[in-house]
Amino acid sequence: MNLEAPNPGGSTTRLGAVAAPTRPTGWYRRKRTREAMLVACFLLPSLAIFLLYRILPLAWNVVLSFEYWSPLKAARFAGLDNYAEMFFEDDVFWQALTNTLIFILASPVAILLALAVALAVNSDLKGAAIYRTIIFLSYPLMSVAVGIVWRWLYDERGGFINFVLRGIGLIKDPIPFLQSFGWALPSVILADIWQVIGFYMIILLTGLQSIPQHLYEAARIDGAPAVARFLRITLPMLRPSLFICAVIGILNSFTAFDLVYVMTGGGPAHATELLVTHIYNMGFGETRFDYAAALTVVQFTLLVILTFLANRAVGGNAGSVESA
Amino acid sequence: MNWRAILTSRFFVVPSALVAALIGWNLYVAAHAHGQVSGKVLRADGAPAAGATVVLYERNLTSHFLEKSRTITDAAGAFRFDDNRSHQIRLDTIGPNGRQGQPLILRLWFAAQDIRLRDALVLPAPKG
Amino acid sequence: MRKRGHLLRHLAMVLVCALMLVPFYWVAKTAVTNENIYAYPPRILPLDPHLYNFVDVWYLIPFARYFANSVIVSLIAVAGNILFNAAAGYALTKNFAGKRAVVLLFLSCMLIPFQATIIPAYLVSARLGVLNSYLGLALPLLSTIVCIFIFKAAFEAIPTSLQQAARIDGLGELRILFRIMLPLAKPAIATNVILSFIWSWNAFLWPLIITRDVTMQTLPLGLARFLAYVEDTTGALYAFVCMVLLPGIVVFLMAQKEFIRGLTSGATKG
Repeated sequence: MNLEAPNPGGSTTRLGAVAAPTRPTGWYRRKRTREAMLVACFLLPSLAIFLLYRILPLAWNVVLSFEYWSPLKAARFAGLDNYAEMFFEDDVFWQALTNTLIFILASPVAILLALAVALAVNSDLKGAAIYRTIIFLSYPLMSVAVGIVWRWLYDERGGFINFVLRGIGLIKDPIPFLQSFGWALPSVILADIWQVIGFYMIILLTGLQSIPQHLYEAARIDGAPAVARFLRITLPMLRPSLFICAVIGILNSFTAFDLVYVMTGGGPAHATELLVTHIYNMGFGETRFDYAAALTVVQFTLLVILTFLANRAVGGNAGSVESA
Repeated sequence: MNWRAILTSRFFVVPSALVAALIGWNLYVAAHAHGQVSGKVLRADGAPAAGATVVLYERNLTSHFLEKSRTITDAAGAFRFDDNRSHQIRLDTIGPNGRQGQPLILRLWFAAQDIRLRDALVLPAPKG
Repeated sequence: MRKRGHLLRHLAMVLVCALMLVPFYWVAKTAVTNENIYAYPPRILPLDPHLYNFVDVWYLIPFARYFANSVIVSLIAVAGNILFNAAAGYALTKNFAGKRAVVLLFLSCMLIPFQATIIPAYLVSARLGVLNSYLGLALPLLSTIVCIFIFKAAFEAIPTSLQQAARIDGLGELRILFRIMLPLAKPAIATNVILSFIWSWNAFLWPLIITRDVTMQTLPLGLARFLAYVEDTTGALYAFVCMVLLPGIVVFLMAQKEFIRGLTSGATKG
């Protein structure tokens, strides 16, 4: 937690801190102002970047969403027109919203899988570090490349998945996974899970390792079975980590842009359209920045609501851990 | 700063090994990229084919082979090009009687790589 | 009993790892095959493997250009990250009016995904005149909140007596930061380097938006462009994928510890 109360006088030298209240000389005041200037200078670059590229855009999105505006036209107040169009006329928006929600709702499955893996790896298992590295390996890779890799795995003729399914006799004819309306979204989600599961695992492992061992020993002495130990100790102690995983899962519906763009481009017939790809298409495909901004506002609101709900679901105060 | 520790750390060793390999490869390429393609043409009976035409095609970006130049084999059936600029080439042989041999497609390790064909190109036997 | 449990777990883990590695193998296999990649059934082992697909990629696309662009942008991002994050982290170890507000601002910025800012961020960059430039590509990545807090924690762990001694010797704050604090915060620097490198190396959406010329494109853009150009008809595409993935894998394997430490201390992408 970074919000602890400022430690009085901690920044000045001990000499100054002791001397300051008794001798507020001009030298000391000058030193204080110089230090304040310095702190400001040190903070300025980072603050400027975050103001320019995080805070300002957020506000600008809201402003834009209430306007008619495109790079070549003067801005005109539009009231709720953009939102009205979105909710009542834009079918793609509803499709994208549904897909985004499905995308987010799939993340608990991935988190559970990662939890199973983390439990298996977190112990005196020999070679655990190697397993961990291999499972985590897919996370830091370029998602554009990962998208192409999975495109190829899903391929009808040369793809591994169709090859295996046909080989074991599960299907007769190859399934064009990324070209069929029903299969495309689950296929993209599977690829996404493959990429991000290592990250969940690492977060959960850190959580598991922070659980004090004596709790388990005490439970064992009391004769609690493994299931009870898991439900009574592991799960409650893992809450903060689970919350972080949930937040990652929610944010992931934004970051999945790369995968969707490469694997399906949002198709077929918007079957894999996410809100973020819809925003991109509206903003940079059709240069409707105003409408894209309104979409962004909706998605960001969704993000905040879902994060809040996830926080409530794990017991309310987990947000403090996330910021630590 | 402890220079010994820096020089032996993997963050220094791995990149410098890669850079060294890159420099070595580029030196090798620079020394072997004259565009020379040489070889020999044999008749179907195994005798050297003098006076056969050899055509050099270069592959362009849209995966078509375009004719670059042609040459005629000497008395020993040897030929040589000096102007290959591509990394993927095709060699056609045309005998003095106008019959074409099997085209040979060659993929090179870098553009204009100097190569000497190990196996001779063989002209088809005349009919009958 | 315990032994058998271990064996079962090993079996399960080997299976999971195999599943995780299959995609890599399949692409590597396709990259080195000569045969028609659409032949059914596909071969598990490549017949007569060779590396000529890599040569084709090298000459089909300006790979060196993409690579250089990616490296330049990543270098700018990494340099900016170390400088700005260290400075901000150092400032946050001091007490000043409004510190709480600054910390709160940083923390709330952490929840704003970059993808949610693309439209105005594009407009901001256009106003600044940095569209289609290296600086514009790196600008939003120049500082990372997670890393600021990593630096703050690292600096706070350094005994204050060192700073005091330096101050008595007459060193200015800038010198203290660079001569005393940074050399003692090497793990934080390493974490910062690897995090900012991986994020800028993989960035796709932002370069997609603000680059116009082919000469400014980075590797992910080049890859997407090549995909649009050849579809998946050629082994060369997968050779390109391998060439793009390999540097990332090498960097990750070298600095795995630092990377994981950065992720777990920050937990969310800044």
